[in-house]
Amino acid sequence: MLLLQLLVDGAVSGCAVGVVAITFAYVYATTGVFHVAHAGLFTLGGYIAWWLSGQGLPFPLALMGAVAVGAAVGAVMQKAIYETLMKRRASPLVQLIASLGLLAILQNLVALLFTPNMLQFEAVSWRLSMLDIGPIHLSLPQIWTLASSLAILAGLVLFSTRTILGKRIRAVSSNRALAEITRLRPFDVYVVVVAIASGLVAVPSVFIGVDQAMQPYTSVLVLLTAVIAVIAGGIGSLPGAFIISVVLAVLQNLVLALMPGRWSIAFTFMLFIVFILIKPTGLFQTRLKRAS
Amino acid sequence: MNFFLSYVILAEIFAIMALSTNFLVGVIGIFSVSQAALMGVGAYAYAVAAMAGLPFPVALLLALVLCAILNVLTSLPSLRLAGDYFVVTSFGIQLVATAVFINWSDVTGGVSGIAGIPAPSFFGVSTEEPRNFIVVTTLALIAAATGYALLMRSSYGRVLHAIRLDELAVVAAGRNVLRLKLGISAVSGAYAGLGGALYAIFLSFIDPSSFEIHVSVLILTMLVVGGARTLSGSIIGPFILLSIPQFMALVSLPPTMVGPARSLAYGVLLVAFMLLRPQGIAGRRL
Amino acid sequence: MPTCFTRLAAGAVSLLAIGLSGTASAQEIVIGAVLPLTGPAAPTGIEEQTGVQFAVDGINAAGGIRGRKVKVIYEDSQGKPDQGVLAFNRLVDLHSTPAIVTAFSSISLAMAPLATRKKVFVVNPAAQTNKLATASPYLVNTIPLVADEVAVMTKYAVAKLGKKAAIIYENAAAGIDARDDFKKAFVAAGGEILADEAVEFGQTNFRPTLLKVAAAKPDFVFIGITVGAPTMADQVAQVPGFPIAIGTTFNRPFSGFASTAGWFHTGIKSGIAPEAEAEFNNQFGTKEMGFFAREYANATQIIFKIIDSLIAKNIPVTGENIRTALFEIKNFDSPTAKIVFDSNTARREIEVLKLVPPGREVVETGTN
Repeated sequence: MLLLQLLVDGAVSGCAVGVVAITFAYVYATTGVFHVAHAGLFTLGGYIAWWLSGQGLPFPLALMGAVAVGAAVGAVMQKAIYETLMKRRASPLVQLIASLGLLAILQNLVALLFTPNMLQFEAVSWRLSMLDIGPIHLSLPQIWTLASSLAILAGLVLFSTRTILGKRIRAVSSNRALAEITRLRPFDVYVVVVAIASGLVAVPSVFIGVDQAMQPYTSVLVLLTAVIAVIAGGIGSLPGAFIISVVLAVLQNLVLALMPGRWSIAFTFMLFIVFILIKPTGLFQTRLKRAS
Repeated sequence: MNFFLSYVILAEIFAIMALSTNFLVGVIGIFSVSQAALMGVGAYAYAVAAMAGLPFPVALLLALVLCAILNVLTSLPSLRLAGDYFVVTSFGIQLVATAVFINWSDVTGGVSGIAGIPAPSFFGVSTEEPRNFIVVTTLALIAAATGYALLMRSSYGRVLHAIRLDELAVVAAGRNVLRLKLGISAVSGAYAGLGGALYAIFLSFIDPSSFEIHVSVLILTMLVVGGARTLSGSIIGPFILLSIPQFMALVSLPPTMVGPARSLAYGVLLVAFMLLRPQGIAGRRL
Repeated sequence: MPTCFTRLAAGAVSLLAIGLSGTASAQEIVIGAVLPLTGPAAPTGIEEQTGVQFAVDGINAAGGIRGRKVKVIYEDSQGKPDQGVLAFNRLVDLHSTPAIVTAFSSISLAMAPLATRKKVFVVNPAAQTNKLATASPYLVNTIPLVADEVAVMTKYAVAKLGKKAAIIYENAAAGIDARDDFKKAFVAAGGEILADEAVEFGQTNFRPTLLKVAAAKPDFVFIGITVGAPTMADQVAQVPGFPIAIGTTFNRPFSGFASTAGWFHTGIKSGIAPEAEAEFNNQFGTKEMGFFAREYANATQIIFKIIDSLIAKNIPVTGENIRTALFEIKNFDSPTAKIVFDSNTARREIEVLKLVPPGREVVETGTN
């Protein structure tokens, strides 16, 4: 019974990580930027919703507000920073370091505005409600995390394969130079992609925040697990990244039943390094896509 | 003037760390955010050896050799891959190292760390006081910088630069690229071991928090602000970055704003340098 | 956001105060405080800072120490020992502070050899790792250490709760000390440890750990964490059949939840005069004066009391003299606590408290 509960809890956390993973992968595969500031946007989303709901806004509106702010901040970041660097043909290393800087700015801005304290969504009345599904106990925010994450996965995949904009994005990501010639205006597309990713990543951030609590500096570990999932799943495969995220989180939880919890993070990364040695292309992709 | 001396000493130690990072990031273009982990291995190796009563040269040598070997071993997976995969492998190594520092408490003292690490004496003079220890760190930095300069001017150094510019061409010229990369990893590791050992002596206390990921990021930032791939950049960077908190301490800010404001300033600095001067103050194009 | 503005306003006021008092600098007494004002430990550091500031504002409002104003210089350790060492050197070299208030075990331990070398009086009001007892003759702890509290708690638990226990501890100095001390004391008393689980500092998802511990079916759980208690309490409510838990002072924030009713923890007896608390709340816009704020205010007041005695006797205010005077005065009674210094660690009353929502009851009182 313990194992089953651990498995389900792990799967729920894994879905949240999965959204971080697929949105990171969406940005990375399209723009080529190793966007570590994504962790900062994850932090920001939860705090915006916390503040809005504290102002008396109903929760759905607070959630939408967080998504909107996330999307706007992401778009500005792409337009003002990454685009400038790309046009100057800055190396991936330079872009990565700029992204690290943006992460520091976002996290500390949040700490400055909302204090570095651990915050709970006191204004959300249902945050502690529980549901029993057979022998499994889940909190209402956990169920929302699960449902919203799966919806985002499905939505992003459908958007990417079925809509004109989605197809245009894929065209740009597969060949930027060609896209430029064929007037697909890659830089406009990048802004849209980063905005979508930054808005969506606010959703799991808010639900996890409601379910547990928030701190400005903890999102880096979430992003790292997500990035590992992206690489292990194969860059370019959204469902792959999502599935690996869930598997990783479940493994982390199950390992806990077998050995002391303090080694579980080390275990995950050991697994990753071994994995990278054996199958560097990822499980769901055969072609090794190098960063430009 | 201990305040000024301790600033110079730490900057010199971090300059050695920046040189260690420079070999990888600047010279052959391998991204690394696990330098602090290596520095930690050096610091712990020195501390454990010195606490066990081994003389200074032996303890130092132990730290250097251990770090060189470890860096070669941990670089192996990443050397087979290219691009941003390194970032993650490197992040992984860093996090695993931190977990080991924390949890292998029989050796590392766990979270409580190791206190009372002895400072060596030379010719009957103890280096416990900063005004004496600064001689040690300055000599170490001069040695490290000379080593870096000589290596870069040698034919070996020129091949390393060639690897970054065009790896295939170097392979085509019949050179064993993997062996070259492993060689430079060993040198980089030994530098980190030196930095770690000096750090352990200077603070007389080490714990896992001194070798966490943000320290790796700080070292990288120092290199980037100073300017990658140059000797002067690796030395300027640490002096500038370590001076920021010192200057901010002289300015009165409302108490609750001090901390996040400074970290915010680091972030702004990073972004600004990347936007306006990505080659750093003294460096060349990254 | 009102708290933010109040904090800003409070900050601006104290900034103004520092600026004004700067004019009388010849007679001014300058002390230092090295606190984690940024990073994951910042919430604690900022609360500690309000305590120090409260004591300083209080004494200056009363005309200073025998007419000499007090100024405190804050340094941010960022929760890192190396930054702590740098901050220490800055304070001592630039401002010649005879006394420094510190925070966190690792940082205090890193400063200890320097305190010995420079003869600077270092006061630790909250860190409890056992090594602090003997780290430096110049480092004094105004609070009993982990081992002292655990001894009182374990004695009670063995007698009243049972002989099978599980442990949840934070993977940081205080948590690890608590785990080790509890394990040693409990096993020596014939107890058995069924599970031993770590959580990381600042972690917010405790469910897997709680589930694993509950599944081991112990008589009670020893919990040693310093942050995240409200979150853990919420999640305990979601784990059916979670046993009763015990712990030390750090478990104070577990109070007030239905899920933690009947839990026990030891407390360092730490009070505050109601009018002082009201004034504190008024100044910093808080609802209560937290444990850290009280302890830091009290520790700062202890420093003032010693300095007062030195000035009265016309003895120079140096770290060495402060230390000597501390052991001469020996007893420091205040509304916060009765404190006796026989050694570098204060002897104080330790209570075993039972959580009875909405408050807690004292069930036993011991001492270290």
